[in-house]
Amino acid sequence: MRRKQVLQGNIIVAKAALAAKCNFFAGYPITPSSEIAQFMSRELPRMGYDFIQMEDEIASLGACIGASLSGRKVLTATSGPGFSLMQEHIGMAVMAEIPLVIVNVMRGGPSTGLPTKPSQADIMQVRWGTHGDHPIIALYPAFADEIYSETIRAYNLSEKFWNPVVLLLDEVLAKAHEDIELPRKNDIHIYKEKIHRIKDLNIYDREIGENPPRVDFFKGYPIHIDGLEHDKHGWPTSDPETVNKMQTLRMQKIYHYLDEIVKFKEYYMEDAEIMIFSFGVSARSSLAAIKMAREQGIKVGLFQALTIWPFPKIPLKERFKRIKKVLTVELNMGQTKYEIERVSSDDVEKKALLRANGIPFTPKEVLDKIREF
Amino acid sequence: MRSYEKYIRYRTFPTPWCPGCGNGVILKAIAICFSELDIKPKDIVVVSGIGCSGRIPTFFNTNTLHTTHGRALSFATGIKLARPDKFIVVISGDGDALAIGGNHLIHAARRNIGIKMILVNNGIYGMTGGQVSPLTPQKFITETTPYGNIEPKFNVAELLEGARASFIARETINRPKQLKEVIKKSFKHNGFSVVEVISNCHINLGRKNKMRDPISITKWISSRTVTKSQYESLSPEQRNHIYPVGVLFEDKNRLEYSDLYYKHIVPAAQASIPQRRKQNGK
Amino acid sequence: MEKFEIKLNEDALIRREIRKPSPKKNKLTVKKIYCKGCGLCVDICPTGTLLLEDNKKSKFGVSVKIDVQEYCIGCGLCESRCPDFAIFVNYNEKKEQNEKKASITGKHNCC
Repeated sequence: MRRKQVLQGNIIVAKAALAAKCNFFAGYPITPSSEIAQFMSRELPRMGYDFIQMEDEIASLGACIGASLSGRKVLTATSGPGFSLMQEHIGMAVMAEIPLVIVNVMRGGPSTGLPTKPSQADIMQVRWGTHGDHPIIALYPAFADEIYSETIRAYNLSEKFWNPVVLLLDEVLAKAHEDIELPRKNDIHIYKEKIHRIKDLNIYDREIGENPPRVDFFKGYPIHIDGLEHDKHGWPTSDPETVNKMQTLRMQKIYHYLDEIVKFKEYYMEDAEIMIFSFGVSARSSLAAIKMAREQGIKVGLFQALTIWPFPKIPLKERFKRIKKVLTVELNMGQTKYEIERVSSDDVEKKALLRANGIPFTPKEVLDKIREF
Repeated sequence: MRSYEKYIRYRTFPTPWCPGCGNGVILKAIAICFSELDIKPKDIVVVSGIGCSGRIPTFFNTNTLHTTHGRALSFATGIKLARPDKFIVVISGDGDALAIGGNHLIHAARRNIGIKMILVNNGIYGMTGGQVSPLTPQKFITETTPYGNIEPKFNVAELLEGARASFIARETINRPKQLKEVIKKSFKHNGFSVVEVISNCHINLGRKNKMRDPISITKWISSRTVTKSQYESLSPEQRNHIYPVGVLFEDKNRLEYSDLYYKHIVPAAQASIPQRRKQNGK
Repeated sequence: MEKFEIKLNEDALIRREIRKPSPKKNKLTVKKIYCKGCGLCVDICPTGTLLLEDNKKSKFGVSVKIDVQEYCIGCGLCESRCPDFAIFVNYNEKKEQNEKKASITGKHNCC
C-alpha cells in the first residue's frame, strides 16, 4: 500500500501540476494562494524549469500566454481581486485558442472582501467575466483526492480543446491539511497529442469536431497570432462570413464534447425524493447532513458537480424527470440557484440555502433546511 | 530582390497606414537590420501592442504576436524565459508603452531581460482618432484637449535611466540610415535595450496644429533634435525643448536575466535537493 | 495636386538647377501599386531627380515620377526613406518577376 501523506490543499494542486508535466509558473502573491507560488519557486528551478514572480496579475497571465505559445505547460494561481484583473487576457487566450490552466482560490468578496475566509461567489464571474462570446471550462473539486485528479484533468482538457481552464478551490480546502494517497505515475493519464510541424499557414482551419494542431511558435512555418478577429491563417479580418464561421467553431469545440467535459458525482441518489445540488466545501457539509437525514428516514441524495461550466444541464434534466424537489446549497447570495431555475421545469419545488459571511455551512444547518420540504 | 525582402510578408500588403507615415520607415529599418545580422526568420518573434505601430508585426515574415493594450512586454518576458535562445523584438507606441504599460516598461528595464524594444513616439494616440498621449507637447490641440494640453511630457531617456536600463537610444525617421545603425547596435546588445524613434503623425497631430502634410511635420521634428555632441555644447536655457539623438547610454557589464537565472538559480536549486530524494531518483 | 505637393516639386527643381547629370549610370525602379504619393522621397532626393505627378489610376491620386533618370547619384536615401517599399535603386530585374507573383494585395481592415 502506498504511503499516505498529510498535505495542504495548495500543495496538492502544485504537486498535481508537476505530475502533469507543468514547466512554467508566472504569478503574483495573493492570500490564500501564495503557497502554490512558493512551492513552485522551490521545485521548478530544481528541475531546470522557469519560475518568475511578475509585477501584477495582468503581467502574470501575459507571461503565461507567451510561454504557452513557445511550447510550455503553464500554471498561475490567484484569488478574487487578481482574477478580476486577469479577465482581459483570459479573453485573449479564448480568442487566439491558447491552452492555459488558472487556479482561482475563492475568498470573500467583492473587492478586498474577506481575505482569509471562504466563499463560493466567483462562479458567475468565471463564466461571464470577460467581454464577448466566449466558452470556458471550470472545474471544482471538493475532496483531497479530487483536487489532485481534477488538476490533471484540467491540463488534459486545456490541451485537447485549446481553451483556458479555470480550477476553482475553496479557501478552507486550500489551506487545510488533509491526508491523501498520491497515485503512481503509471496510473496518471496525461493527454499527449502528436505535435505537427506547421507546414502551411492554415493554423485555425478545421471543421466542427476536429482538433487542429497546437498553435506553437518555432515549429515549422512562422505564424501570426492575434487578439483581433482573424481568418483561418490568423490574419486580421472583419468579413462577416469568416467571423461567423470562426465564432461558431470556437463555441462548438466545447459544446460538441459535453460528455467528455461534464463530470459529476452522486451519493444516495437511487431512491431519492429530494436532491441537493452542491459543490466544493458545501458538498462536504451536505454529504454529512444527508447521512444524518437518512437515519431519520428522509430520502435525500446529493448531486455534486465536478464541472461547473459548461453547466451539467443534460444530467440534471434527466434527474428532474423523477425528482421533484431540489435544494441548492452554496456559500454566496445566489448564483447557481438561477441556473437550477433555468434547467428545471415549473413543477419542481426549488429551495436554496445561501449565505456569504465567511463561515461554511454546518451539517445541522443543511439538515434543518432539508426538513423544510 | 533585396536581401531584406525575405523578412517581409508581401501577402498582407498594401500597408494600412496614411501616406508618409513613419511606421513604414521603421519597418524597413528593422528588416534591413535582420538581414545584416543574418538571423533566421523562424528564430525571431516580433510582439506588439495596440495602435498604428501595433500593426507593424503583421508585415514581418517571422513569428508575430499582436497582444492587448500595453502588455506586450509581459508576453515577451514569457517567450524569452521559455526560449532564451530566440530573438525577441517588441514594438510599442507611446501610449501603449508609457500610459497603460508604464509599469511593465519599468520592470523589464529593472530585470534587464534580453528583449529589444522599439518605442515609436509620435506624440498622439493615432489609431483611435487623435487623443492626447503622455508624450504630446504642451499647448498642443488634440481631440481630448481642445483648449490646449497642460500636462508636461515625459523624458523617456531619464525615466529609463532611473529604472536602470542598460541601453537607451533615440533616433528620428528623418535620418533613416542612422536609424538603421542605432537599431543594429541595440540588437547586438545583450540585455534590455530601448530605441525611442520619433515619428510623424500629420493626420492626427499635425492637422490641428498647423502641420497638415508629412513634410512640414518632419521639418519640425528636425528642428527639435540635435546630435549628442551638439547637445553638450548648448546652454541650459537652449536645451529646453531640444532632444539629443544617438546612443545615449550603454552599459555592457550588466548581466541579462535569463543568463543570471540559469547561472545562479538552477545550480543552487539543484544543489539543494535533499540527499534521500536524489537516491529515490525524484 | 495640393499646395504642399506643388511646393515640393518647386523645391526639387531648384535643387536640380545646381547639379549636372551623374557620370555613373543608376537605375531607379518604382512599384506603382505600392506608391501612395506621400512625397518623402521627393523631399529628400538631393539632386531633384524625383517629382510628384497626378495619377488617376492610384486611389491616392498622386504618385512619384522619375523625371530625369541621369541625375540620380545612387545615394539610396529615397529607398531607405520610402515607407511602402515602392522605390529601389539598382534593383535586380530578373528576380523581380518571381516576387511579383508572390505579392498578393490582400484586403485589410483596421481596428
